[in-house]
Amino acid sequence: MKKKIALLMSCCMAAASLAGCGGSSATATTAATQAPATTQAATTAPSKEASGGSGDVKLTMSWWGNQVRNERTQAALDLYSEQNKGVTIEGQFSEWSDYWNKLATSAAGQSIPDLVQMDYMYIDQYVKNSLLVDLKPYIEKGALDVSSISENTMASGTVDGGIYAICAGINSPAMMYNKTLLDKNGITVKDYMTIDDFEAVSRQVYEKTGYKTSIVYGTAQTYLDYFMRAYDVVLFGDKKMGGKAEDYIPFFQMYETGLKEGWLIDPGVYAEISIGSVEQDPLVNGSSPETMSWCAFANSNQLTAVQNAAPEGVTIGMTTWPSPDPKKSGYLKSSQFFSVGAHTKNPDEAVKVLNYLVNSSDANNILLGERGVPASSKIAQELSPKMDAINQEIIRYINEVVTPNSSPINPPQPDGASEVFNLLNQVQEQLCYGTFDAKAAAEEFFNGANKIMSQK
Amino acid sequence: MKEKKRESFRHFMNRESTAGFVFSLPFSIGFLMFMVVPMGLSLYYSFCDYNILAPPVFVGMKNYIKMFTDDPVFLKTIGVTFYFAFVSVPMRLVFALIVALILFKTTKATAFYRAAYYLPSIIGGSVAVAILWKRIFATDGVVNQLLRIIGIKTSFPWLGNVNTAIWTLIILAVWQFGSSMLIFLSSLKQIPVTLYEAARVDGANRFSQFFKITLPLLTPTIFFNLVMQTINGFLAFTQCFIITQGKPLNSTLFYTVYMYKQSFEFYNTGYGAALAWIMLGIIGLITLILFATKKFWVYTEGV
Repeated sequence: MKKKIALLMSCCMAAASLAGCGGSSATATTAATQAPATTQAATTAPSKEASGGSGDVKLTMSWWGNQVRNERTQAALDLYSEQNKGVTIEGQFSEWSDYWNKLATSAAGQSIPDLVQMDYMYIDQYVKNSLLVDLKPYIEKGALDVSSISENTMASGTVDGGIYAICAGINSPAMMYNKTLLDKNGITVKDYMTIDDFEAVSRQVYEKTGYKTSIVYGTAQTYLDYFMRAYDVVLFGDKKMGGKAEDYIPFFQMYETGLKEGWLIDPGVYAEISIGSVEQDPLVNGSSPETMSWCAFANSNQLTAVQNAAPEGVTIGMTTWPSPDPKKSGYLKSSQFFSVGAHTKNPDEAVKVLNYLVNSSDANNILLGERGVPASSKIAQELSPKMDAINQEIIRYINEVVTPNSSPINPPQPDGASEVFNLLNQVQEQLCYGTFDAKAAAEEFFNGANKIMSQK
Repeated sequence: MKEKKRESFRHFMNRESTAGFVFSLPFSIGFLMFMVVPMGLSLYYSFCDYNILAPPVFVGMKNYIKMFTDDPVFLKTIGVTFYFAFVSVPMRLVFALIVALILFKTTKATAFYRAAYYLPSIIGGSVAVAILWKRIFATDGVVNQLLRIIGIKTSFPWLGNVNTAIWTLIILAVWQFGSSMLIFLSSLKQIPVTLYEAARVDGANRFSQFFKITLPLLTPTIFFNLVMQTINGFLAFTQCFIITQGKPLNSTLFYTVYMYKQSFEFYNTGYGAALAWIMLGIIGLITLILFATKKFWVYTEGV
């Protein structure tokens, strides 16, 4: 009896393990043959007929963001499934930093989601490793309508002549400030502040209210990029950094001055919060003026989230980031993009969903410009009367404050950028803890970053 | 011929060893797929330039050379990790032993207390507790509030100060003394009562009973706990990853978190794999050293 059971078990096991091996090797070979096939599809016009329409199509879409975005995006995707029977779209969302770990791992496993939310910082890397589908053939075929998107906006999703990403919303760097606090103390903030103006306001706020100033900490890269534009310095050159070490001193000088004069917030405050979280920013979160800031460096589309996170009775204002020459620094950017992943089995259906997210009034009535001002001018116009006061303010800021004084954004960051940014944030940390002065910090950063870039 | 083949197949299937192989198959497959293959891959990647997105390129010893000649953060994290492991593990063991001695005498409430003190070991490594810890040591957290009650007005940033941040992690580690405590308890029970009786007859006081009987007989258990906890100490990840992220100034950057950052944040996965293999070497070496000291202080005679 025992032996019989053993025999039976062994047969089952053998069958199961054989099936297991067979299954995995089969998928491995299909994945291998599929990879060149999709890259081919990416370069030449797709000849494969749409597999959508009939039969069940399952797509996945991944994005990073906040709770509002998760709910709205999933609702828009569900509406698509309702309108297109047989198509189901699964949403996968995570926080910004986890998102890129997950995406890279899935790319390595040949299973990048069908629809991917992309960032300007990563486009170059993903395209160079042929992980995104070139959308140009679909645009030419008419499957993807970009007629109401401006050429400038389309350009930001273009790499080496191919279009790999469609703008999901337009925003611009914006400084949020505690308007209630400043009004009460008779301090005014004007658009296009220079560094001197900014320091003057910070000093005044500190003297009158005790509130400190938080200058981007832990995520200084975007601000450094913005700051250096005033000197016509582009951060990254070919395998090296732009400009000279001295060019970077004024940036670090601002921190040193704030530290000496006492208005810069204590860096220990940042150890307690998740950096990048709107809700935990010292502008809205903290127990005393000593641990709070009157301003925060953010992006225009975050105004809703910041205002929601602010304590009751506090109105949040929005102005440009301070810079040695704010009119030269300013730019409009795509807050994020939608792309199609190269491992998709249904590129046509994925493009259709992409088209729906960008051009459909139904979809955008749900999304309501949470990702920034919609790229399609038609949709933006349609949406604007439905928007609340905060979103109206965002549109005003983009159209009247930034657009007249902006220039094209710098090219996407090359490989090695994330390491350089990590170095920047460590140097900044050391500066704030008093290990470096501005000059030493600039040299440390410039030389270290050059070394990183030269090895790429 | 056919008949013979069938016969030999049946013979094969009836063998004891076949049954043995078959029943160990689930483990073997799992072990091969989730241990051996990934480890082999990681060893290969450690000799490559690999950024996850593009295929790996073989570069020989480059990653290992870079580590020891051109990466000050690597040395810093080794220092931090050693400090953490060699401070938190002895503290945890002493604490576990003290609590075990207190809970040794059985009363009605001991079962409850044992469970209560074991609890941190179960939940202590979790994300929720890590977040709680962050709140406790915040400038407006419980610690500062308590200090205010006893008259010290302070809003000291425990997590933001280079000297204190690592201690919040050490205290969290020490707090998870439960599993060591249980092992101590069970070996305390195995010490024969007759030894204590004889000692009492000879006039030994509590103090010398502890140092002459209890402690020597516990050394095998202490040794076991020391080895296991030291390995765990080197592999600590969650606390650092959630609470401090290595801040401030890398003063709390654990080796494992640095490895993670290199692999998945900077996309230097090859370098991350090399870091992992060095860690394996370090842990192996330390375990070896601990075993080498065994003969000097661990009591091995039968009771």
